[in-house]
Amino acid sequence: MKTATDAGLLLRRYLIQLLRNPAFVVIGFATPLLYLALFTPLLRHLAGAQGLPSGNVLNLFLPGILALLAYASGAGPGFSTVFELRAGVIERFRVTPVSRLAILAGPILASMLLMFLFDLVLVLAGWGFGFHVHVLGLLLLALLLALQMATMAAFSITVALRSGEINGVAAIINGLNLPVLLLGGVLLPISLGPAWLRVLAHFNPLYYTVAAARALAAGPLTGTAVWQAFAVLVPLCAIVLYWATSVVRRAVA
Amino acid sequence: MTYVITASELRKRFPGRGGAVDAVRGVSLEVARGEIVGFLGPNGAGKTTTMRMLTTLLPIDGGQATVAGLDVRRQPGQVRWRIGYVSQLGGADELATGRENLILQGRLYGGSKTTVAGRVDHVLGLLDLSGFADRLVRTYSGGQRRRLDVALGIVHQPEVLFLDEPSTGLDPQNRANLWQHIRALREQGTTVFLTTHYLDEADALCDRIVIVDQGRVVAEGTPRELKQQVAGDAIVLELRDSDAAGRAAAALRGQPAIRDLSVAGATVRLYASDGAAELPGLLRLLDGAGLTVRSLGLSEPSLDDVFLRQTGRSLRDAGQSTGQSNQAGQPLDRAAA
Repeated sequence: MKTATDAGLLLRRYLIQLLRNPAFVVIGFATPLLYLALFTPLLRHLAGAQGLPSGNVLNLFLPGILALLAYASGAGPGFSTVFELRAGVIERFRVTPVSRLAILAGPILASMLLMFLFDLVLVLAGWGFGFHVHVLGLLLLALLLALQMATMAAFSITVALRSGEINGVAAIINGLNLPVLLLGGVLLPISLGPAWLRVLAHFNPLYYTVAAARALAAGPLTGTAVWQAFAVLVPLCAIVLYWATSVVRRAVA
Repeated sequence: MTYVITASELRKRFPGRGGAVDAVRGVSLEVARGEIVGFLGPNGAGKTTTMRMLTTLLPIDGGQATVAGLDVRRQPGQVRWRIGYVSQLGGADELATGRENLILQGRLYGGSKTTVAGRVDHVLGLLDLSGFADRLVRTYSGGQRRRLDVALGIVHQPEVLFLDEPSTGLDPQNRANLWQHIRALREQGTTVFLTTHYLDEADALCDRIVIVDQGRVVAEGTPRELKQQVAGDAIVLELRDSDAAGRAAAALRGQPAIRDLSVAGATVRLYASDGAAELPGLLRLLDGAGLTVRSLGLSEPSLDDVFLRQTGRSLRDAGQSTGQSNQAGQPLDRAAA
């Protein structure tokens, strides 16, 4: 109960901060829209090509962008946590009886709300360009994106708390970005690649999110890709959150 | 006497690249209810680390500590309800107003909307913040900002307030102003435990001082006791020449009130436990020996004399070589001071 109240109070704080510093919101909006506007045209002639499904290329591409956004939204709280740590804000919260989990949940939920706002804009824009909207599938996808985002956010916040400096966080997050995104099949499906690449991709959590996102956007709610994604992400999210909470708690062993 | 803070043989060791560093090596102290106690020492002495252990922010490696009657190691959650802590950085939200900051803080301590609103108004008045409570914190001056930090530390009426270097970075007027506010808190029954590396701050503000150096307590007492314990007042006598100074020294040596007498050129330097009272007698003694004193100086001992006596170094110089200053904002498990 205290955790929920505390998380609500801190969520409100982070949202107000976001609104008072709208540059982040604008940049956050620009990235997915740029992908949609500048990358999709490259794919126009790929639909129906070898290994790719036919139909509107957005059906393939937009779910990948949603997964990418979930991953990228999770990196943001890590960076803001470094600033908060340096400004003494985290310490001010840690010395209060506020729930340790709520200290994490505040920034995670605020970024998640913003992510869903971007997602909505993307889906609506994609719909205008022929993306097939399957409402139930997208609702289930929202849950999966929330898990993906929370996992990455808890990870990035923990990295920030442990490293304490922007360079350390940037090195780890940026070092992860490229392999995770390439092996996730965000832009092009991994199914196009050779066997070794497909095997390697299975060690990447984002791969499951992307695969399930494509399946859910297409409609069927019970495909293999869907339950696999939940089977990977639910325990992963729980483990990372547990680790993150224990780092916030570390003050008293 | 009831103690709000007790610490016994507190220890903290940080793993480091060049070998482990013992930041706190057996600190014991007691703070009674209603006192302002200063933890005085150079940068790197272990002040902040000790305070962070007492406030549940750092795990205690060795020793015992109680705050508000609770065991800090076993009941950190309960300790947090009863203490306020203002770090060196403060940690207010720049993008929120002073009032918003205080309301959030009060709500995080479980207060209802209405009780917190009333309490915030009270605290704003107490620290002279009412005039700009609804402006964004980033527009505050240094002194206003620091008073808000203190307000954040007391919005939930803690039994004991921890202040880490409260006046660092403030100009003299704002420091004096902040001291007044801290004294006012004590009058309202709040116990205050603060760290400082300023001699004048410890002297002017604190009822009792615990002097710490290299992770150990080297002296403690009221500012007055500490200074008397050193050597008394310093008396400097200037004679005609070194010959006269030598004879004066011979005449004065053996006087019961005099300690640590030394001669340098025509100057005789000595300490007496109550210099002002001793001086006329000493002058009569020299007069009787046919010696003329050309000038004399009497100065009360400073806390720096205390530190010098205990550690062999001046507090103003100590700690500078370690290059440590501001450790808040470090990673959670590594911050040292």
